[in-house]
Amino acid sequence: MAVTALLIDGIGVDFAGLKAVDNVSIAINEGELRVLLGANGAGKTTLMDLISGKTRSMRGRVFLYDTEITNWPEHAIARAGIGRKFQIPSVFRDLTVRRNLQVASCRNPSVFANLRLGFSAEARQRIDQMLAVIGLEDAAETTAAYLSHGQTQWLEMGLLMIQNAKLILLDEPTAGMTVAETRKTAELIRKMRGQHTILVVEHDMAFVREIAEKITVMHLGQVLAEGSIAAIEANPKVRAAYLGSKGIA
Amino acid sequence: MLFKNHYEPLAYAIFIAAILAAPLVLDEFWLNRFSKYLVFGMLGSAVALSWGYAGILNLGQGLFFGAGAYMLAMSLKLASPTSLQQGSSTPVPDFMLWNAEPGAPTQLCCIVKGSALWLPFQSQWFGVAMGLAVPVVLATVLGSVVFAKRISGTFVSIITLALVLLVRLLIIDAQPLTNGFNGLTDLGSFHIGDFTFDPYGLESYYLIAGLLSLVLVGTRLLISTRAGLILQATRDDEVRARYLGFNVPHYKTFFFVISAAICGVAGMLYVLVSEFASPTFMDLSFSITMVVWAAVGGRASILGACIGAILINMIEAKISETKALVEVWKAIIGLIFVLVVLFLPRGLGGLAHDLCRGLWRRRVSGTSPVGKTGTISHPAA
Repeated sequence: MAVTALLIDGIGVDFAGLKAVDNVSIAINEGELRVLLGANGAGKTTLMDLISGKTRSMRGRVFLYDTEITNWPEHAIARAGIGRKFQIPSVFRDLTVRRNLQVASCRNPSVFANLRLGFSAEARQRIDQMLAVIGLEDAAETTAAYLSHGQTQWLEMGLLMIQNAKLILLDEPTAGMTVAETRKTAELIRKMRGQHTILVVEHDMAFVREIAEKITVMHLGQVLAEGSIAAIEANPKVRAAYLGSKGIA
Repeated sequence: MLFKNHYEPLAYAIFIAAILAAPLVLDEFWLNRFSKYLVFGMLGSAVALSWGYAGILNLGQGLFFGAGAYMLAMSLKLASPTSLQQGSSTPVPDFMLWNAEPGAPTQLCCIVKGSALWLPFQSQWFGVAMGLAVPVVLATVLGSVVFAKRISGTFVSIITLALVLLVRLLIIDAQPLTNGFNGLTDLGSFHIGDFTFDPYGLESYYLIAGLLSLVLVGTRLLISTRAGLILQATRDDEVRARYLGFNVPHYKTFFFVISAAICGVAGMLYVLVSEFASPTFMDLSFSITMVVWAAVGGRASILGACIGAILINMIEAKISETKALVEVWKAIIGLIFVLVVLFLPRGLGGLAHDLCRGLWRRRVSGTSPVGKTGTISHPAA
């Protein structure tokens, strides 16, 4: 039987009376790649905020494997093993690509444990490998501010991978990307699969088709449907609420 | 990689050699003056650490400088001949006599209200310990509160600015205890065992030059550690650092405290060579001046900010003493600042860095056919 990596149990939060996320329960197995679909305002990003600790939940619980992480501080949740990529790519702009990865590769988060010079041969090797995985070997010494939009996104994914996050949350990883960049991102996500459990919020249906196994559709803060692409496409509730009459494009 | 290029350790070595050799060309008057500039250099480096590396623009650095200065000055005041000749078993500062109520006992314990606070300062080393401890404790408390509440940017500057003015006001207000706006003057000298530090002597100069070298090298090493790298990461993107699992307030507070400790040490050294401590150390203008030194020298460079402080003070001394410029020297200093901000946003340190890199590239591209100039690569689509 598969191990559950992330268990969300009846979570909910209100914003000024509006139920932004209401009684959402999702279970994601270890190594699974789950896509979260939904129209604007369906509560996808809010759900990610609840998982990663940015927003405090009012109801329900979140488990990462056997650990309950409900409403922990953000850095503690990150240390427990949840990595998050933001909608707007965020990396350390004034540091080089290599240094960005060095920061993320620090195993121990405490100040005093990090009062030491240099990185072990093993860490350096891991960083070199990661540069190859995200395709930024040639840009290793480039200051991150000078990277293209796509490169910045890949660097941010690299940060999450080298951090060794058990669960990776990707919020619209292909937003604003060219077709070629999107293809490369899909490739990168496939590489992440297996080593990490992944939850992706995405709008680009071509991209979803390329990567998705199982889809969860949200609507007005609630889970509307869950299943394979084919099942979701055939689901009349989803068609009515989100996809329109034309189905998945 | 410890250093970005081969020139950086060389620059540190040259600077340290230069300040150690400076007494060869300086007379007694200039030696004392130059010691003060080295102390200012230390302040410049402390500002660079907190502003350039931690991203905390502290407009109240004078608070930590003043705290260090006052703590040592209290001890030295009690060691002054004027305090020892009041005909009591404990030394009593002269100003306390002037401020005491008629008939008050001439004893340090109870001559004025609160004067018992001065008792432990009879030991010079207590003063030194407090000169370090008070800035550290103040910075720890301030940092823990401010950074845990995720206050950042301009708001930190406003809070620190308000705080230094508040403390300045308290010190002036507590006239019987602190001699108010007159400050602590007529101090005894600092001594280690039987050895006395003459403010105009070589020994004081070397104490300061030695400690400055230590601060420079120590701080430079500190920002090269992983913690220093993570600190720079939190400066660039606090949220990203938090979501990688780092406790951002811890990092900010730690380096804020280091910066405060350096200021405290600088304050004590300043008292050693200037022989006074006064509330002017906590004037707003002084704290802002420190920021200007760091901006001119380059806030992203520990050594650059230090040299910036020394240079500005030397230029200031030269032109303020030139008869023709007596009226306008402040305008000239202001102009230098404006020009640097406009044309050298990374300060002299940034300029030096670029020049060295240019030289290095020329050498590299001389030996290999492809120069390593194209650092901006394009998306590998």
